[in-house]
Amino acid sequence: MTCEDVRIHLHQFRRGRLDPTAREGVRSHLVECGDCAQVQVEEGVLDQLLETRLPRHAAPDALRRRLLLLAPSEARPEVPAPPPRSWRRLVAPARAAGLLLASAGFYFQATSARRATALTEVTSEAINDHLRVLTSQRPFEIESTGTHEVKPWFEGRLDFAPVVPEAEGTELQLRGGALGYFHDRKAAVILYRLRRHQVTLLAFPAQELALPSGPLLLGPVHGWRSSARGFQVVGWRVGDVGYALVSDVGSQELTAYAARLAPQTAIH
Amino acid sequence: MGGGSIAETQRSGVIREALGYADALYNLAHRLCGRAPDAEDLVQETYSHALAALDRFTPGTNLKAWLFRILRNLVLDQARRRAPERSYDTVEGEESVNAVSDGACLRNDLELERMRRLVGAEIEAALASLPEEARLTVLLDLEGFSEAEVAGILECAPGTVKSRLARARAALRRLLADYAREGRR
Repeated sequence: MTCEDVRIHLHQFRRGRLDPTAREGVRSHLVECGDCAQVQVEEGVLDQLLETRLPRHAAPDALRRRLLLLAPSEARPEVPAPPPRSWRRLVAPARAAGLLLASAGFYFQATSARRATALTEVTSEAINDHLRVLTSQRPFEIESTGTHEVKPWFEGRLDFAPVVPEAEGTELQLRGGALGYFHDRKAAVILYRLRRHQVTLLAFPAQELALPSGPLLLGPVHGWRSSARGFQVVGWRVGDVGYALVSDVGSQELTAYAARLAPQTAIH
Repeated sequence: MGGGSIAETQRSGVIREALGYADALYNLAHRLCGRAPDAEDLVQETYSHALAALDRFTPGTNLKAWLFRILRNLVLDQARRRAPERSYDTVEGEESVNAVSDGACLRNDLELERMRRLVGAEIEAALASLPEEARLTVLLDLEGFSEAEVAGILECAPGTVKSRLARARAALRRLLADYAREGRR
């Protein structure tokens, strides 16, 4: 291979997307050619800058509302549930009781609505990411059944270190990983197979993200669970990293696997 | 995209999935248009076209790539309307990103360290100064599409994507190195 050939293939080489012959050609050239080896280092810097520093523009809410109006009503995603009736009952006497209690009632009602919104948004985002995996012709960027291969692959590709948990001795088999996005931030997409079902674990920076906090106990970790569009989502948070496990398997089964995986994310 | 017809029962699911790509489409539109209102109009037009053409979407194929292809074609249509006499068969400004090899511009460790310290605004500016088709190729790759998927969106051969992406990234490295040097002054 000439330097010109190598530089054309270098990006796909770095992503592990070359066939074995081309991969070996590039690899052996890089050993011998200092200039191309240097370009490879620069490509790494460029990847790092594009993936971690380039801001990502999120669609404004006004645009989202307009897009929803374009879609037929039966195709629109679920809207956040109204606050539970119990809060409305609490707020009603508060109005009569005085401004202080009314303010407290309003606070609780608003908090409840915010929780419902956070849960709906996170659920929707996690399911959309899972659907991208299902519809992708090539969902893997690293294909491996070993956490010791998948975890290091994320190094340098993300600005946080996701844990790649396993459920050894069960039917949940690790299959690989890829990069994705969760809302506006880069995420680790960890792929499993459970019998004939795809199971996706998303790991993402959770700073400034409204994540639900629920009473669901996943070993030592508090989590939450929800469902929409026929998919189940179980989520939890460990420090600054959020995790969401998504699949179309039953809620109880997915929660049981989440209870196997979540503790591993907490002890690293 | 043709060949398949979408069953009535699948439409809602496909539309819901399509709505989930609004952020990704808007991000690309913003990088191509440079202005938020133009990007919003472009994304809205993309969805309008997609919904009108939904019967031509083949279930089981890549919906996200299909939407990106519609968006890219709308950008081309807009460019043709603005300057109908121009040919859009060739890559705009391709000559400025023509060199894959940049051996003479190899950076030393100090310069690389300066590049690593570049901030988002500088990277955005460097990306914005690439010709549109080069920028689009870099962004589609960054979005996670494979070469074959990018080729489908840009309606060109995968080999063209490979060489175009290599040239665009080499140009971007040069631009970022310039920004890093200027920051030193």
